[in-house]
Formats: sequence, structure tokens, C-alpha cells
Amino acid sequence: MECIISIELGTNAVRVYAFDLKGNTIGFANGSYPTFHPNPDYSEQDPEQIFITMLYVLKNFLSEKIHPKKYKILSICFSASMHSVLAIDKNGVPLGNAITWADNRGKKEAQVLRNSPLAEIIYHATGTPIHPMSPLIKIAWLKNQDKERFKQTYKFLSIKGYIIQQLTGAYVIDYSIGSATGLMNIHNKKWDPTALDYAGITVDQLPELVPIFYSPGKLLSQYQISLGLNQETKILVGSSDGCFATLGAGVWDDGKATVTIEDSAAVRVVGQRALQDKNCRLFNYILDEQYYISGGPSNNGGKAFEWFAKQFGDFKNAYDLESCMDDLIAEAVTVDAGSEGLLFLPYLLGERAPIWNANARGVFFGININHERKHFTRATIEGILYEMYSIENLLQEHRDIKRISVNGSFATIPFCTQLIADIFNKPVSVSPNANTVSLGAYLLSATEIGIYQNLDDAAKSIVLPDAFKPNKNNHNVYLKYYAIFENLSRKLFDEFEALSAVADP
Amino acid sequence: MNQFVLQQGCSRELQMFPHIIEFGVKKNISIQLDSLPDTTVDNIRIYYIMDGKFEWNIHERQYILYPGDIAFILPNERFGGTKGFLEIGTLSWIHINAQKPENGKMQFGNWSRLSENETQMIGKILLLNKSVVLERLSEASRIFVSLQSELFNHEIGYHTRVNQLLDELLIIITRRLTRQTNSGRDFSKNFLQLEQKLREDLSHQWTVEEMAATVGMGTTLFNERVKSYSGFSPLNYLINIRISEAIKLLKKPDLNVTDIALDTGFYSSQHFSTTFKKLTGYTPSEFRKKNIS
Repeated sequence: MECIISIELGTNAVRVYAFDLKGNTIGFANGSYPTFHPNPDYSEQDPEQIFITMLYVLKNFLSEKIHPKKYKILSICFSASMHSVLAIDKNGVPLGNAITWADNRGKKEAQVLRNSPLAEIIYHATGTPIHPMSPLIKIAWLKNQDKERFKQTYKFLSIKGYIIQQLTGAYVIDYSIGSATGLMNIHNKKWDPTALDYAGITVDQLPELVPIFYSPGKLLSQYQISLGLNQETKILVGSSDGCFATLGAGVWDDGKATVTIEDSAAVRVVGQRALQDKNCRLFNYILDEQYYISGGPSNNGGKAFEWFAKQFGDFKNAYDLESCMDDLIAEAVTVDAGSEGLLFLPYLLGERAPIWNANARGVFFGININHERKHFTRATIEGILYEMYSIENLLQEHRDIKRISVNGSFATIPFCTQLIADIFNKPVSVSPNANTVSLGAYLLSATEIGIYQNLDDAAKSIVLPDAFKPNKNNHNVYLKYYAIFENLSRKLFDEFEALSAVADP
Repeated sequence: MNQFVLQQGCSRELQMFPHIIEFGVKKNISIQLDSLPDTTVDNIRIYYIMDGKFEWNIHERQYILYPGDIAFILPNERFGGTKGFLEIGTLSWIHINAQKPENGKMQFGNWSRLSENETQMIGKILLLNKSVVLERLSEASRIFVSLQSELFNHEIGYHTRVNQLLDELLIIITRRLTRQTNSGRDFSKNFLQLEQKLREDLSHQWTVEEMAATVGMGTTLFNERVKSYSGFSPLNYLINIRISEAIKLLKKPDLNVTDIALDTGFYSSQHFSTTFKKLTGYTPSEFRKKNIS
């Protein structure tokens, strides 16, 4: 029997899946690694810990679940979070920790660049919004604030790039992750001279740009031995978690948008042309030679609801967040659409699309004497989804969106899925596979070995179940509240700035 | 409680208890300058506030103590009134002899009935937290009252009772310490805290009990939560951190492999080598050669 392995280097954990050639999951294993915040704006991870955790999980998984059944492993395909930066010296040794997507240390650099004419030029060339998440800004920060490290840096890698280099010796970055660095020209698929110039680096300080189907070479022999693999197992660089989540969500050519809500969230569409947003609010990442994945990311997905549950939920059992959230949702279901006039702006972690304001904060608005916890619970969920709706509205300016597919642990809670249908006023299907990122990796691997002709074909193989139908009455209620939500998000801008000046001077 | 001070060497009440250096209750009704200057303490000191408000410096931090609060001060640390004097109010205290902590281990002495394991764990947690103030530790009040009555009344079994009470005092302080920052809601926060403690002292031979106590949990719940949160058992997670740190050190050319093994908590360079090779396919020296050219 033959199988395909996918390795996802996610924000908090590595997830390893094995699929048979029909796309059925054979097995799964995961292992977490921490994010360090030595300073409130910093988010860092230890590249060696990620490497060792990945190796440990993979080794145990193979020796417990795959080798005993004599599976032949055709390929191992990687995916990872976008926007990470790891500086290494000429021996390939990391210079400090990797800086992750959530890191905000480059706030000032981003602000200065955004106010310069260069911003639009770089945005339209690279497809990545000007934001501290972008490696472009992180490297500029290193240039300005950490001169010693900047000077010693031989190359700037991504976390996935480092892991692949450790396993195979090759310095590569795939087009998907590359197109999320703010340094790659998404139109000619080369490093962009203007962006590199701004960051103060040269082409040879970056890894080689390769398509997502690219194989960087064999596993180093020692890892073949320790993992019990031979050199016939092909290594595929793969793509980013965001691109794979969209691919794994299935067909895209009939006006479908994909809403992914995990801790953070995004609304994405697939198309053959990049979207040119005049206010530089949408990203355009490369899937393959043909397709762009465009959309807007939000910081405040399931994380915002988790915050609410931790503060205000009942913990009947210690640390049992899941049943605490279930109980809260059961309460929220009993409240009418609109939470009896209570609104929530979910900007607990600042916000990216569509307002792109790191200083935005969470707001409950319209509290009256009759509101109970259940109203707050429902308002929190509605607020998170209004935010998704605002991104979809922005995408509607470029595409005619007719249907929605959802994935991610928060969006697939049935109550939330129905709310998305009602708020968006569109039929919503839930992705049949719990982990669409890994499913995307499977589709790529299967295409690579010829099971599908191309990714378009592969995506069509995903059969979406019956959709949740929108409730017209609820939609009309939500529309009225959404108008207030949108106004508040805009009107509070000055107050967010003022608060930031007072609270974190 | 009436006022009194018992001191080792002077007070007959303490003859049977050489480890109790001082025990007293004081109702302070007037301020005397220099009555509580900043000093380095040489025993374990535990203060229990009964009345009033006290401003103290403990181990370079300033605290305000209110009735019901406990101050716990370790040997070798600085302690004194912020203004150099003892404020008006009532408090009780006990000084317990403890050998200076060595290699991160605390020894309480033969009087204690804590098992060796428990002593190690309690010592570890107390040392990790350094000196502290615990708010409204109401159980302490009962222990101080009982200690006084046992020491003065000499009822049958008092020798055992006094020592039991001291053990109990150490236990409730330790338990509170581990639970202080722990709401039972946010395991990810606790886990990150644990990760940091492990990294700060990687050469220590951590047991699961110690790890669990560090975040204020029983071992059963701890095992279960770590596994579901991280995908690893606690000890396997620890090995992950050890090898990751070892890799970093191996990439620095000036350290020798045995030192790296011991610094990252392996029993020996042999143990390190076997574990390392099983995971990476390389021995530590081969790995180093590959990475430093």
C-alpha cells in the first residue's frame, strides 16, 4: 500500500497526517511548541525546538502507525504559517529565534513606510499589505534596530525553509510562502529589487524561489536512517497553510469564497488575476503558476471567543475549555439574532483586514440593564463574524461571491456556520475534512504523482456536503446591526489612537 | 494571642526543638527608629500579620502586608522595614533553622516527617519562587495558634504535634505558591510558565511530580492536560527541550560534549549520545562536525 505524508508547521504545533492515495486519512500525530514574548510586541519561536519536535513526532508516527503496516511512503509534503523570518549565519546556524507572523516589533517601520509613496509600489508588486507581519518590515526592523544580527546574517529564511534545509541541505522558499514575504514580485515570481532595496538586502541573502511542486532533493542519509525511510520518498516543499486551506476547501470557479476561522481568521478567493485594492488592504499570494489566492486576514477569530470563555465561562472541570465553550454557546443559542442590541468589536489583538489598525481594541457597545452573560456570549460571536463579513464585503468589490465554504475549528461549530449563512446571506458548506490544510497538501502530492491533472482538477474532487441555508429574517436584522458595527469601527479610530498614546506610551 | 518571644538557647520551651530558632507574637504600639533594619537573614523566616499594615522590603522588592498575609523569607535574602522600623500592629513569626540550599536542594533537618521526595519538591518550589508574600493565607492563623498552645501547654504528644505543624505550614505555603497564578482556566499560560521554569534549570533531574507542582496541579490531571495540549508526555516534552538546547550548544565550537550533556540534563554523555542518535541519526560529535565547518 502506498501513502502520502503531510507535515504542517503551524503557529503552535506541528501536525503530521498520512493519507492513502484516495485522500482518506490513515493516521495523525501532533506536537506543540511554544511562542515566546520577551517583549509584549515580540512573538518568537525556537527553530531548533520546532525542528526537534517535528522530527520526534514524525519518527514516532512513522514507527508506530506507518512502518508496521508496511506502507510505501511516496512523498512528504510541507506546509507552514506565513510571514516568519529566521536569520542564519554562514554555517547555517540560527542567529536567535525565529520571528513569527504575530510579531509586531516593526510597528513604526510599517507606519513610516505606509505613509511614503513607496508603499503602493511595493504593495502592488509584492501583493503583501504593508504591516509588521510582513518579513519585509521585520528585516527592515533588524536593519535599523538589531544591527549586529543584521550584519552577521548570511541568509533570511522562513521557519519552513530552515526545517527543509536541515533535512535536505537546500536553501529554498516556495512561491506561496515567498509571495507572503513582501519581498517577492508576484507578477514575475522573482525577488523584487525595490522591496529588497528598502529592506537593505541583496538577492543572495534570500533562498531560491521555487514552485510548490518542487523537490529540494533527498533526505540527508542520517535522517533516512533515523526515520526509517529510503531515498525513494520524495520531499515536496509545498505551500503555506493559508493557500492549502483554500485548496483543501475544494472547487473555486463558481464564485465561492472560503472563510477560515481558527485562532486567527481569513476570507479568501481563488483567481487567475491578483486583486488590485486601491487602499492596499487585500493580500495576493501565489498558489501555483496559474492561480492567486487573494483575501484579507483577521487577528481576532476563535482567539477572541476563547478570551471571552476564559474570563466569563464556568469551568466545571479545571482547564476544560472545550466544555466551557460548549455551555456558553448553548446559552447564546437562546438569544435572538442581534443580541438584543449588544454589539462587539472583536479587535482584542489589534486588527488587520480591513481596517489594518494595530491600535484597535475590543469594544462592547449598547449594553443595557437587561443584558446577561448569554447576550455577551452571542454578541462576541456575532462580532467576530461581522468582522469576517466586512472582509467579504471588500472582496465583493472585485469578485461576485455566491457561495461560502468554511473551515477551521471555530467556523465549523454548527451555530457559527449557521450565523455565517445568515449574516452573509449565502449558502455555506462545511469542508468535509477537519484539517483542510493537510488535505490541500494531499491534493498537491496527488497531483504531483499524476492522480489529478492539475490543482484545479484536484480541488474539484472535494465533494462539499449540503449547505446551511441563510435565514432571510435574521439576515435583515444582522444587516442593520452590521451598519452600526462598520460605523463604530471607523468612528473609533481617533479614540483608539488616543487610547494607545495614553495606555502604551 | 498574648505577646511573648521564645529564643533558642534561652527559652526552655524550645529545648526539644533545636530547629526552632525563634518564635514570638508582638503587639507593637509605638514606632521605634531602626527597630527593623535591612539585614540578610540566615534562617527561614515566616511572618504572619494579625493586625495593622506593614511595609517591608523582601529580597529587593517592596511589599505591603495586611492582616492574614504571610511573608516567607529564605536564608541569605535581604529583609527589613521599608522605612527601617516596625510599624504599629500585631504579628507572629517563627524562624526555622535550615541548611543553606546547595545545588538547588533544601534540607529542613531530621525533625521533618516529609519524605525525601516531598522535601525535594517543596524545597525546589520554595527556591524557585524565592521569598514571597502570600495574601490572606487563613490556614496559617490556626497553625500559629496551635504552635503556641503546644509549646506552652506540653500536652501529651506535643513534640510530634509541633513538628507536624511546622511540616503543615511548609506544605500550605508551597501549595499556595503553586496555585497563586493558576486559575484553572488557562492551561496554555501555565504550560508556558512551566516551559520557562524547565529552561531556566534544564540540568535539574525533573520529575513529573515536580513539574506538576510547579503549575499547581496534581499529577493525574497534569499528565492528561500536557498530553492533550502538547501531544507529548511531560517527560518526552522535557527531552524535546533538552535536545533542542543541546543542538544550539553543539553549534558553538567552544563547548565540550560532556558539559553540554550535563548542562542540558542528561545523566551522562553516553545517555545524551544514545538519545540524540536515536532521534537525529547522528551522534552529537557527528552532528557538530556537520554543522561547524
